[in-house]
Order: sequence, then structure tokens, then C-alpha cells
Amino acid sequence: MIAAALYRSTRLTAGALLLMAALGGCASLVPQTMALREAWPAGVPARVEFADVPFFPQQDYQCGPAALATALVHAGVKITPDELVEQVYLPARQGSLQVEMLAAPRRYSLVSYQLAPRFDDLLRELAAGNPVIVLQDIGQGFTVKWHYAVVVGYDYAAGELYLRSGETRRLAVPFTVLEYTWKKSNYWAMVVMPPGRISATAAESAYLPAIAAMERVGNARATLSAYAAFLDRWPDNAGASIGLANQYHALGELKDAEAVLRRAAERHPGSVAVLNNLAQALSDQGRNAEALTFIERAAQPDSPFAAAVRETRALILQRLAKER
Amino acid sequence: MKSTLSRMICHFLVIAMAMLPFQSGQASMIGTDQVISSASAQADRNTVSSFLSRSETVSQLQSLGLDAQSAADRVAAMTDDEVRTLAGKVSALPAGGDGGLVLLILVVFFIWYFAFRR
Repeated sequence: MIAAALYRSTRLTAGALLLMAALGGCASLVPQTMALREAWPAGVPARVEFADVPFFPQQDYQCGPAALATALVHAGVKITPDELVEQVYLPARQGSLQVEMLAAPRRYSLVSYQLAPRFDDLLRELAAGNPVIVLQDIGQGFTVKWHYAVVVGYDYAAGELYLRSGETRRLAVPFTVLEYTWKKSNYWAMVVMPPGRISATAAESAYLPAIAAMERVGNARATLSAYAAFLDRWPDNAGASIGLANQYHALGELKDAEAVLRRAAERHPGSVAVLNNLAQALSDQGRNAEALTFIERAAQPDSPFAAAVRETRALILQRLAKER
Repeated sequence: MKSTLSRMICHFLVIAMAMLPFQSGQASMIGTDQVISSASAQADRNTVSSFLSRSETVSQLQSLGLDAQSAADRVAAMTDDEVRTLAGKVSALPAGGDGGLVLLILVVFFIWYFAFRR
């Protein structure tokens, strides 16, 4: 009897405390949801859902491979979570690290892009047709339980988002709950993009490193199309021009490499890297006299690439000497 | 202790060897990675430190249950910055793995949720 009464009163106290927290602390508990309630981002539809995004029920602790397989298949790669276990699952940690979730898609020539920590950006990606992998802490504050899920839609009027999560194909989660669980990971979210497409919320300064990261292990043609897509969007970017030209050069398509670098050299006449690579591409076509004029322009002793420029110059002079 | 050290040295060499043909194959084209990271300067020092962090991270992944090949493959797909965020912290960083349902949703959210729906 006494125990039951005590239990009831504890429950009442807890309830009252929670209610107080609810009334007083909402704005700080779920600040972005509150902001969304005030101002829904312009141009984002009120309802989006991709029913055709595949679902792989999670096995054991393998929500990482399951979430990743969902995004990869949607991006056009034929794969199952089992094949990804080897790449992102850490047995001793019973889970997957964020860095590995970002790294694995590159091996399939896809670009991984980590979103800015904003609810708006998640919604914009969904509106553009890109499912978003999020890292949540579903331990509700008592313990920490990290979990990956894939957001595949939302409905503003219903106040819900739709997730492929764990063993649930379509988990409806209130905006508030998603934010509360997602906030703990500092709103960590990523999309996986086919190389020829740029994600909806891509920032110029962050998307280029994402492509360069794919270049490390991705297929050369795919990397090439990623840089080409980037240049379509940001034609003034010298780094992307160099990336694109390097892919052409690696594939032996020297004329194309030259054309890209010439355009870049017009826009960035002082770029040492552009001039050096243009000289190299010309020299590799046997046009060493022409190459020499560009490498002379690249000779800037305080540039971080001064050593590379000296090497290129030496190579060109050596080739010129052989020609005579 | 000795085996950890020798393993690290081994990884260092394996990765160094793997990078070798790549770098000389590009002749004197300056790589995209270098151009992007040149803003943070000291490219040479970064290269050395990234070699070290890479081999260290490979060892750490191995100690968490991976075989040598897949540990090396995984690290190969990471950028230098990513490797630096991992190096020495593989055991401490969040590892998502738990089941998918928030079973006990706090009362506060239900209250607030209905407030949100209006």
C-alpha cells in the first residue's frame, strides 16, 4: 500500500517537473524545431516522402551498414548491408564511426557530403530527393545509445518525419523527438550523391574537399564527372579545374586536360598550380617550348608549390635539350 | 609492446609504398588534395604527420577486431583530416549501433508535440 502510494507520488512529482520543463525549456531543448515553427524555409514543400527508398532491417548492432546500404542503393549502387559490414562495422565497438560512414561510399565512386548542422538543410536535401543519414542518441538522457537512421520524408502538417530505422520500415517521428535525439550528435547528417549531381545544400568550400576525398579511392571517370558537375555550378573554382584536368591527365586525355587548364589560367592568371599543371600537360604532348612560357610564369619562390614548379621546369628543359 | 611498435612501422611502410607509385605516376601535376590543403600550408609536414596518423589508425582499427587488409582499406578511403580526427580516439568517438526505436518517449515531447501540431 505504502509502496504504491509512494510510487504514485513520485510519478506525480516527475510528471509535474516534466511539465514545467516542457513549458519553460522547449526553446532550449529543441531550438531548431521552434525556429521552424516560426519560419518554414522558403521553397521547401510542406510534405515529401520517398516511398521507394529501400529498407534493410538492422541486424544485431549493424544500423550503420543498414543505413548506408539504404543510401547507396538509392544512389544507384547494388549492395547489401552484409557487404558493408566489412567496411564500416567495428566489432569491438559494436557500431560504426561517423568518419567511416563518410569514407565507405567513396569506394563505390559516390560523393559523401556532411550537411551543415541545420534542420533546414535536412529538409532541403529531402525536398531535392536525397535521403539523409542522421546520427541520433536514442538513450533519452539516461544512457548514451548512438544510432544511425535514414530520413526519407516529412509532413509539416502532421509534425512528423519518416525514417528507415532499425527494424522499422517507416518510423514516424515528431520533429521535436528527432531534434532532441539528433541534437546530441551536434546534428550530424550526411547524404550520398552520385558523382554527376551536387547535393542541394552543398557549400562551395565544403563540397570540393568531398569530391577530392572520393578521388582517393573512386573511379577516375566518376571523379571526372563529379569535378565537371562542380565546375558547372561554380565555374570560377580553380581547385575544381585542377581536379578535372588531373583526371583527364591521368586518363591520358591530354587535350582535354589542356583545355580545362587554359580556361582556368585565363580566370586565375596568377595561380601557380594551374600554370604548373598546364605546362606539364603541354610538355606531355611534346609542346615543350610552349610549356616553358607557362612554367616561367609559375616561378614564384614563396609559393607552397615552388618545389613542384622547379621539378616541372627541369623536366621541360631536359625534354627540350633532347629535342635538339 | 614490441609487436605494436613493429606493427606500426609495418603499416607505415605499407602505406608509404602504396602512395609511391601514385605520386610518381602523376609526374609533376600538382594534385587536387595539395591545392585544397595548401591553404593550411606546411604541406610537407602535414604529409609526414598524416602518414603517421594513418598507420596509427590502422593499428587501432586492428585492435578493435579488423584484419590488416580491411583496416588498411578503410583508412585509405579517409581524408587526412578525417584520419587526424580518428587518430588516438577510435575507442572514444561515437559508434552508432543500437536498435532503432525510441521506446520510451519522454512525456514532455508528447505534450509539446501536440502543442506543435495545434
